[in-house]
Amino acid sequence: MIRFVLRRLGYGVPVIFGVAVIVFATVKIIPGDPVALLAGAGASEATKDELRSRMGLDDNLVMQFWHWLTSALQGDLGTSIAQHRPALPLVADAFGNTLILAAYATVLALLIGLILGGVAGLRPRSIAGRVCSAISSISVSAPQYSVALLLIIYVALNTGMFPVSGMYGDGGGFVDLLWHGFLPALTSALVPAGVIGRVFRASLLDALGMDFVEALRARGLSERRVLVHAVHNTLPSLLTMAGLQVGYLLGGVVFVETIFNWPGLGLLLFQSISARDLPVTQAGVLISALSFVLINIVVDTAHALIDSRVRTS
Amino acid sequence: MTTTRLMVRDLRTTFGSGASQVAAVQGVDLEIGAGETFVLLGESGSGKSVTARSILRLYDDSAKVEGSVVLGDQELVSLPESQMRSLRGRRIGMVPQDPTGALDPLRSIGSQLMEVLRVHGVASSKAEAKRRARELLSIVGIADPDRVVSSRPHQLSGGMRQRAVIAIAIACEPEVLIADEPTTALDVTVQAAVIELFRDLQEQMGMSLLMVTHDVGVAEELGGRVGVMYAGRLVETGPVSEVLSAPQHPYTRGLLASLPTPGVARGHLTVIQGRPPLTGEVTSGCAFAARCPMVQSSCRTSAPALVPVAPDRSAACPIVNTTSTASTAVTSEEMTA
Amino acid sequence: MTSIAVSGSESTQAVTHARRRGRRSLPWTVWVFGTVAGLMVLLGIFGPYISGDVTAGNLQDRLLGIGQQGHLLGTDGQGRDVLGRLVAGARPSMIAAIVPVLAAGAIGSAVGIAAGMAGQRVHSLIMRTLDVFYAFPAVLLAIAIAASLGNGTLNTVISLSIVLIPPIARIAETETMQLQGMDFMESARASGAGSVAIARRQILPNVLPALIVYCTTLVGLALVFAGGLSFLGLGVAPPNPEWGQMINEQRQYMFTNPTIALIPAVVIFAASLVFNLLGDGLRDALDIRRSTR
Repeated sequence: MIRFVLRRLGYGVPVIFGVAVIVFATVKIIPGDPVALLAGAGASEATKDELRSRMGLDDNLVMQFWHWLTSALQGDLGTSIAQHRPALPLVADAFGNTLILAAYATVLALLIGLILGGVAGLRPRSIAGRVCSAISSISVSAPQYSVALLLIIYVALNTGMFPVSGMYGDGGGFVDLLWHGFLPALTSALVPAGVIGRVFRASLLDALGMDFVEALRARGLSERRVLVHAVHNTLPSLLTMAGLQVGYLLGGVVFVETIFNWPGLGLLLFQSISARDLPVTQAGVLISALSFVLINIVVDTAHALIDSRVRTS
Repeated sequence: MTTTRLMVRDLRTTFGSGASQVAAVQGVDLEIGAGETFVLLGESGSGKSVTARSILRLYDDSAKVEGSVVLGDQELVSLPESQMRSLRGRRIGMVPQDPTGALDPLRSIGSQLMEVLRVHGVASSKAEAKRRARELLSIVGIADPDRVVSSRPHQLSGGMRQRAVIAIAIACEPEVLIADEPTTALDVTVQAAVIELFRDLQEQMGMSLLMVTHDVGVAEELGGRVGVMYAGRLVETGPVSEVLSAPQHPYTRGLLASLPTPGVARGHLTVIQGRPPLTGEVTSGCAFAARCPMVQSSCRTSAPALVPVAPDRSAACPIVNTTSTASTAVTSEEMTA
Repeated sequence: MTSIAVSGSESTQAVTHARRRGRRSLPWTVWVFGTVAGLMVLLGIFGPYISGDVTAGNLQDRLLGIGQQGHLLGTDGQGRDVLGRLVAGARPSMIAAIVPVLAAGAIGSAVGIAAGMAGQRVHSLIMRTLDVFYAFPAVLLAIAIAASLGNGTLNTVISLSIVLIPPIARIAETETMQLQGMDFMESARASGAGSVAIARRQILPNVLPALIVYCTTLVGLALVFAGGLSFLGLGVAPPNPEWGQMINEQRQYMFTNPTIALIPAVVIFAASLVFNLLGDGLRDALDIRRSTR
């Protein structure tokens, strides 16, 4: 098992390297000359040259990448053009808030998804089962920005039950956080909930139809025990899917945070893209991707723990 | 014959309803005494597996099982499901065809053995269950039970998996063991060992064995009594050695004649012309009439009943009985005429 | 529960494998949602001709409610007819939804099939590269690329195409690998057929059904992504209409005139739903038992 984890971690290193390359490249393909932008109109060639060499932009691409990478590894991801602060701490702070939102959304998504999928999988031909299946399908198609608007207008504004902006109110504290976070978390959770619901339903139906289920019954095990065995066998695929969904959550929060004014990485990215604040954009995308890689490693490890067939592959 | 352990009378199993009904088993009678072996021999689609599963009532409401199945003095067909459940695995054990498909792929062999032991109350504590699990694995001929107990199914070879499945089936020392083609998924070399295992277990535990197979060699190895199934019915029964040496039904004769004999060169393989009926295909008259070399007009109108033709021998063919009382092996020319 | 062994020769196995999936009557979902999807595509093509110029409006008529003064769905903050803008906005949305899927579908399946047929080394190389792209949450990657390239429908299409290639390639690879293990593939190889011929005749027809189902659902996804990019200001630039951009523009009126932002939001939701359900229906029709999301 340890060997598996180590192998998996080792496998992640080239992936992370590739991620760094892509992040670096995405910024480099931006048309236009960043030096001209910074120096302003009417700056002399000499000024631009000086600026260029100071920013290291006169080296070849590989050197530039190397500089960028080594700085990054030391924690220096540049300085925010808009806020004149180091990019990394800025991003890290915002990321923390996003993690809170993502965690909240994951819990909601699991709750909703497992119930929907469980009912639909165990009683597929009943009305409840069909309804749950339908809800899962609809949920999967729900664009975050649409849902956010719907929730705000019809839930928050009409009932006044939930706040629509920000992370904390005047009170602060955990309950305040939960209260403020409910709508944004719910919005983020809908698509993952739908996906989890569908995967759980499909896995349950699959598992209950497997050969060994009949064999378990032939041993005289009760239906409840047989169910436990079946559900246990759905966990591997469920786990993989859940991991993917968390990745989706980390990416999709841009819309939710923008609409709900949640001070997370999504909102920061939105602002930095609008302001063409490249260091922050780079840093933000990098951090998101890295955490996704890490989450996938964790999910794969959990998968291998449950299903030992995976360990040797 | 000793006391009857399992008695099956007029077992009928039908799938589906209305126009799309499939009568997979159309009236099977058999009896197995304590410690005896009964081999249910037939091709795919003959209904032999369905018979075995119907005895254990493993089908849900999609199948209708009628007739009588008596275990000891307990009628099984009408038994409430909860009581049937406590009986499965405890008084009747089953060894399914595919050992891989009979094990939970995520749990260790040991945990699956222990579960059965504890659910049926054979072991009262975890420690006892574990101890008994190791014992069972030794009994079925596994050399290092400690390794296997903590192994998952995919870490074992096919033969080991089958032994593990057998161990689970006999864990509670059932009175009757039903084995559904347990050797089909195994190598030939392992097959012989597994058959011998069944014989040993029978001796040690006094179990009655119902063996379902399409392999005549398995029937020969095991001995006991055999029932040949065709199109959902038994067409011939009797002691294995007698039936195999002097078959009394045209189908059995054709089956045996089509087996290649090593060392005997033949121009071409003998086959029974035509094809077996699909599961549940209902015919008026004898189901074998379309392919039978001895067919007469009466065969197509009335389905012959399984009647005794000798002490402890029955056959469902009036023609064979009248034309020959002495046993004669059928020549290949007769069959392909 | 009883199984009758139906033996077939290997060639029958191959043909059956390919044909088994197509020959039954299509479920109603395919007809219904297929028609709606088709209508949307038509709207995408002809929309701007129907709606006329909706880039400018009469400020005196701004923020009219539903049905007022002949505006079926009201007017937005700049006095432009909402319905007209919806109809005209269908084109960039449809383009950004369908073209990337087609492009990524072609490239992705080529990459995936190649990976599935290649030797160990090439296969690992391709899959590892794909993994790097997989390390990015899709939305983020789309945003990053779109931000770099700039505004406009073309850049949205490029960005979405890049983002969609890895998942399609992965599906194609998985399906191809499954096929590789089957008997009829061995026969094809033994017959001396070249790789391209095998890819074209054996693999593609068998991989196509799963790909078609997956790509149909991806159209819904691309639609949502495109709307999201426009929402963030990265897609079609104002004053040209586009559904996601309309949401963002009219968001400021959320508290007083919520409908103008809601309508395009619901439209995108509904459109995405149509394609997803169409994909589901196709999956049932083509007898594919895998959940591909």
